[in-house]
Amino acid sequence: MGSLRTFIKDVRGAKTLAEERSIVTKESARIRTKLKDDHLVPDKRRKNIQKLLYLHILGEKTHFAQVECINLIASDDFRNKRVGYLAAMVLLDEHQDILTLLTNLLNNDLNHQNRYVVSMALSTLGSLTSPELARDLYPDVENILARSTDEFLVKKALQCAAKLIERDTTLLEIFYPYVGSILKSRQLCTHGGLLGVAKLCQVAVSCRSRYEYDNYPEILQSIVHKIPEFFSILQDMNSTNFSAEYDVSGTCDPFLQVELLYTLRLMFELAPQETAQYKNKLNDLLTKIATDSAGSKNSANAVLYECVRTIFALQLDQSLKVLGVNVLGKFLSGKDNNTKYVSLNTLLRVAPQEPKAVQKHKMFISRCLSDPDISIRTRAVDLTFAILNETNMKELMDELVSFLKLSGEQEKDLIINVVDQLISKFELYAVESEWWVIEIMVQVLKIVGQHISFDKVSNVIVMINNAQDLDHKTRLIHETLELSLGKKEEAIDGDNLGWKLLSVWCIGEYGDILLQRNMFLETELTHYLCLVNGIYSENTKLISYTLTAALKLSAKIQSPSCVEDLRQLINGHSKDTNIILQTKSVQYSFILNQPASQRHDILGAMPLFERSGKNGNGSSGSKPMVKPQEQNLLLELLEETSTSNGAAAGNNSETLLDIFGNGSSDGASQLLKSSTKADPIINIPQDSVETYQSDDMQVFFKMASMVPGEAHLELYVRGHAQISNLQVLAAASKTQKLVMGNLSMASIAAGQVCRQELKVSGSGKLKFRVKLIHEGPSGLTTDQFDHKFDQSL
Amino acid sequence: MVQIKYLLLISRQGKVRLMRWFGAYTSNDKTKICRELSTTVLARKAKMCNILEYQDHKVVYRRYASLYFVCGISSESSNELLTLEIIHRYVEAMDSYFDNVCELDIIFNFSKAYEILNEVLICDGSMTETSKTNILKTVASMDALETSDNLDQVLS
Repeated sequence: MGSLRTFIKDVRGAKTLAEERSIVTKESARIRTKLKDDHLVPDKRRKNIQKLLYLHILGEKTHFAQVECINLIASDDFRNKRVGYLAAMVLLDEHQDILTLLTNLLNNDLNHQNRYVVSMALSTLGSLTSPELARDLYPDVENILARSTDEFLVKKALQCAAKLIERDTTLLEIFYPYVGSILKSRQLCTHGGLLGVAKLCQVAVSCRSRYEYDNYPEILQSIVHKIPEFFSILQDMNSTNFSAEYDVSGTCDPFLQVELLYTLRLMFELAPQETAQYKNKLNDLLTKIATDSAGSKNSANAVLYECVRTIFALQLDQSLKVLGVNVLGKFLSGKDNNTKYVSLNTLLRVAPQEPKAVQKHKMFISRCLSDPDISIRTRAVDLTFAILNETNMKELMDELVSFLKLSGEQEKDLIINVVDQLISKFELYAVESEWWVIEIMVQVLKIVGQHISFDKVSNVIVMINNAQDLDHKTRLIHETLELSLGKKEEAIDGDNLGWKLLSVWCIGEYGDILLQRNMFLETELTHYLCLVNGIYSENTKLISYTLTAALKLSAKIQSPSCVEDLRQLINGHSKDTNIILQTKSVQYSFILNQPASQRHDILGAMPLFERSGKNGNGSSGSKPMVKPQEQNLLLELLEETSTSNGAAAGNNSETLLDIFGNGSSDGASQLLKSSTKADPIINIPQDSVETYQSDDMQVFFKMASMVPGEAHLELYVRGHAQISNLQVLAAASKTQKLVMGNLSMASIAAGQVCRQELKVSGSGKLKFRVKLIHEGPSGLTTDQFDHKFDQSL
Repeated sequence: MVQIKYLLLISRQGKVRLMRWFGAYTSNDKTKICRELSTTVLARKAKMCNILEYQDHKVVYRRYASLYFVCGISSESSNELLTLEIIHRYVEAMDSYFDNVCELDIIFNFSKAYEILNEVLICDGSMTETSKTNILKTVASMDALETSDNLDQVLS
């Protein structure tokens, strides 16, 4: 059998993966047989374990030889011990049963006269501490701390002690006095020793809740008393002279500095009362480090970063927080991506607390939006939204739009996230100029329309529809369509369906104005619709918009050939496999055959479109409602579903509204059922009962008709003041099924009356809880009342 | 503070050259982490930052010549920037020990690489020694002990 070196060479020399595998499997099998041999000489045993370690690095299984590591540790030869301990640390973990075999060996070696053997035993115990090992071996570790004057062993024993306490908190009582004794000893208090002391302090404060004995206050007190010593150590390290041994590009031992800062942070965080007296000193120290620390090296930044984390974790003084934000701002202005990353991450957490201080650095944040690194860009986007407010909105929105321009295909999620947040910010803040919003949104559509859902595009369409200034609107649409029709150098991506949807809608809705002003030719617009119809036949939503646009455009153009093209476009879908498109096509052909004057009425301009969701008229009522035990909960729930339902229905009715515009004709009246067509005047019938009265309204209930098992009810609302966006929600008892019918009007003037129909089926007493949501003179109000009829079903 | 959960040395070809787990991981988890991280880290461009979020924790890596040093660190308390310094300190120590370390040194002398690492990180992956001199002195003394043991054996 060859040496380890030959084995490694063989593996590396393998030409194919299969060859490598066969070498590895053979060697693994050979090691297995060798190790089974009880008479194998220790030297051979060691070599086999070394090979085993190599197998482990290759990702092979090594479980069969775990016991062998322990046999090697038992050897007296230092070489064997060394490999044995290494293998134990690398191959085993604290959950293995064979650890019990280690107890005695470790016990011996922790008291070995050779310091390196002791050190290996400490390291191994530290890596593999189980609660049992901790209980059995703590006296040996304590022995080292109490007696040894060897800094090398003490630093490891301290780390090991911290780990033992973590496994068995009661040991804290044994080990805590060594924090003081080590700090006192000049010889032992080296950087390595201090790292161990810090670790011990961290464990001591963080195991507070798990520690069972009642002497914890004393222990904590003795640890907390060491805070001034940590202060002075940190101060010394930040003074000018320090040994070159600990210099890391101009900073004195950043590892120890960070460890001490973290220890202090834990102490102040977990024992706020006990440490209160040192808080001012801590402020001074952190201020000093944060202001004095110079240099742009990573090592210096690591210490600064820890300072900032401490400041925000402990919620220190305002001035320190501002200082902290400024340090992070400085990080952003640098070139190093890692410092930028941690800075953005921290600023994100800090922005809600210190919005003003963070906003000061918006220039650098915006710069990160164009960073080549995606993880930096993502965080910069989040942070930009976090600091966005009414005053800096314009500026930051422009930055975000240019960010979108740079974004690539593979960042779809990020783009969607940005667009979502953009829209929600526009809703959150009142923007003076609606055109600015529209222009931004159109621009966003142009850049990343392929990633934007049609719902969002509908939002933009509604914004354009509702905009008042016709000249401005025409200009915008002109530009939009010039792009779509390929009249500009810029080309729109074929995948950009959002943009296509917008263009198609614009043609249908504003075709007449565009033609009047000679912006486009009839053939161009017709051709575009036919083109979209041909290319995107898979996309139902886009095609149904196209159908509507074709119908509308047909009423606005003169050229018979164009009209014929559009007619064919519409008729082409009369046998569509998609039922929605088919229905549309058939209905539209019907409308196309109406006389011109009627057609013109149907296809007039769209009215101002009220946002769906706010008014749930009609559509909210069509959902059956069942009353459960917890009425209020249900009502909340119903409200949710009915609004979302309203939103969904709103989208459908949008296309309906699209068709019918203001007027309606006999030919299409069947289609109008779901829209809100109402008698202008409703009177409250004599036989209704008044059930509720508030400042805004008076409510009456009437039993319209009743047969066993079913009842029709009517609810009348008389406005005392102007009421808009009225929404009626009702719940009946559990044994009944309630169907909400039409609401005659969602907005009523003072003195006017509207009617809500209800249908109940089932059995039992007729009891209702009714909730009325509306916008009255005092804003959005909700009224609620219960009513019980004498009759039962 | 930095608590290192694991350290992987991965070559540019995606081969693992050294791995050390500070904590109990099942072998399935180990294989998964190695595989996923080598793909992710190797795919990153030079200009990108050296920190990434992975599973429930963070990963900090740095490339030295043909080797990637990849560290998993606990998410909340660990200082990412300092992790880079720890990696660097380890590399410096190896560089002095092997006198201009290269990937081959680590492949053939992986136990030495482990020994050096054991002097830097201990227990749950906390740092125990920050001075390069001290680290090297310890490893050198242990090597000397081995040789003398060897000598004893030959003489007897």
